[in-house]
Amino acid sequence: MATTIPQRAAGFKPEPDVRRSTERPGARRDLGVFLLYFLLSLGLSMTLMPFLWMILSSLKTATEMARIPPTFFPEEPTLANYTRVIQDPRLPLLRLYGNSIFVAVSNVLTNLFTSSLLGYLFAKFEFRGKRALFSFFLLTMMIPGQVTMIPGYLILVKLHLLDTLWGLVLTSFVNAFGIFMMRQFVETVPNELLDAARIDGASEWQIYTRVVVPQLGPALATLGTLTFMGNWNSYLWPMVVITTLEKRTLPVILSWYSDQHGRRPHVEMAATVMLVIPILIVYFFFQRWIVQGMTMTGLK
Amino acid sequence: MGVLARRTGKRRSGVFAGQRRFVLGVTIPTIIYSGGLSLLSIAWAFALMFFEYSPGHTGGPLLGLGGNNPFVGLAHFRNMIEGTTLESRLFRTSLNNTLIFAFGVLPLNLGLTLPLAALIESVPGRIKNAFRAIYFLPVVTSSVGVALMWGHLYHPQEGLLNAVIRRFGGSPIFWLSDPRLKFLGVSVAMWAVIMAYLWQDYGYNMVIFVAALQGIPKELREAAMIDGANAWQVFRRVTVPLLRPTLLFVCVMTMLSSFQVFDIIQVMTNGEPRNQTRVLVLDIYVNAFRYQRMGWAAAASFVLLLVVVVVTVVQMRLLRTEWEY
Repeated sequence: MATTIPQRAAGFKPEPDVRRSTERPGARRDLGVFLLYFLLSLGLSMTLMPFLWMILSSLKTATEMARIPPTFFPEEPTLANYTRVIQDPRLPLLRLYGNSIFVAVSNVLTNLFTSSLLGYLFAKFEFRGKRALFSFFLLTMMIPGQVTMIPGYLILVKLHLLDTLWGLVLTSFVNAFGIFMMRQFVETVPNELLDAARIDGASEWQIYTRVVVPQLGPALATLGTLTFMGNWNSYLWPMVVITTLEKRTLPVILSWYSDQHGRRPHVEMAATVMLVIPILIVYFFFQRWIVQGMTMTGLK
Repeated sequence: MGVLARRTGKRRSGVFAGQRRFVLGVTIPTIIYSGGLSLLSIAWAFALMFFEYSPGHTGGPLLGLGGNNPFVGLAHFRNMIEGTTLESRLFRTSLNNTLIFAFGVLPLNLGLTLPLAALIESVPGRIKNAFRAIYFLPVVTSSVGVALMWGHLYHPQEGLLNAVIRRFGGSPIFWLSDPRLKFLGVSVAMWAVIMAYLWQDYGYNMVIFVAALQGIPKELREAAMIDGANAWQVFRRVTVPLLRPTLLFVCVMTMLSSFQVFDIIQVMTNGEPRNQTRVLVLDIYVNAFRYQRMGWAAAASFVLLLVVVVVTVVQMRLLRTEWEY
């Protein structure tokens, strides 16, 4: 172990744990590295296997599906299952994708606006009742959504918004997690910048739109992606609010569709692929922001 | 409501009035919206649990409470504790299953994510990011999608798991539908949904642990190494104690979300077989929206809230620590 110190003195960058066991005899080090990558790859294949199995199954024919024991790779890969989902007269797919996109995009836009505005307010202004208002948002964050789900439903009934997509949009204007996240980011915007804008005669709204919002770029991207994914994947609340088939969002439709197709898992898997793939594409492009944002805010 | 307090430094009154207008312009709509929605919801949820409420009945003037939706006081809670009706027995089953689920998920999750994070932390940068990104995939996948994917893996005929079992000469297992199968006293169907949930969720905690591990000063671990500790001792005696704040956060968040599990279970088993996977939120959903027993369901969700609060407070007590190193 004593070798560590001179190495560091010579500008040797200390490597993480496994490399550090370099000081041990070579055979043991190789075994350690091998074991490390073996375990990580094992975990990796466990993670990817359900996805792979889903995709492989979606490419199989009904007869191949029924075979016991099942084949792993499809013998005659076919896109027939996808065609079947796309051509199913009970599934107006454009409309259904439109529903999900409408709800997700509307909620992204409203949440980005309210979160950045309220985050700015809580970060940079002092006013009476600020602490009370802030604690209130803290409280709404702690209460599980299922507790307010029943009155939420009853409120939508009273407003005649049940079974409308607007019901899903109007109930989620304000997102406490988003406010907290934005507040953290606005705090890093220097006060001098805001004051300089004030001296130049900018109104407070102009300061918000022209000075604060441009500073929040990455934070808004993170919050926007997380909100989009949360809404895209949301299941319980849309199921409660929407009762008409063609107004439903994709996860609710998928669950309903799989009930109808319990005996045809290959079709079911094709439909699942069609739900899962768009979000994986979003993830692929925004991966860094998503991972950072989720771990930073506790938002899932 | 919101009145701007003096900011330090002298300002011209125009700017000051502008700020005041801005604060009012933002807070007043916020208060109206949040008060009308969140506050009303919380108050309404609290009121509902003392009534026998169904939205189909014509009730009293205030929120439809009273009239054909009579006040029953604490009767719902008494029923939950000692009632012999089907709904009270189902409630107790659901509560019990929720506890089994949450306390099953937590140790498995920690036992999986913490070592995995330590492994990932120890590989070089580029590969580390790739591993982390892939391990995170299930977290962003729709839970309905996850439920269907896993339902397919568990399928008695076409599923991958039974294919493997057959290959090794075993007989197929009805993972999600055989009520007689038990493992460690917990039904196999429950284990099956726990595994699916774990698969969806573990990337999240793992990424948090990786971030926390990166935040621990290298010198501390090096010092232990120099003192002759091996990798395991360093992990056990240095890393884990320093991770306590993260551990607290992860425990609380994992518990909170597993108490609220719904999507995966509703799609995979819908509470079957013989209600062995029926959890609290499923029970609340069925009562409120299928049977329209909203008073009862509101009382059940209050129990959920209580459980969540108690578990969170206990965890904070147990894991409380000096937050710095």
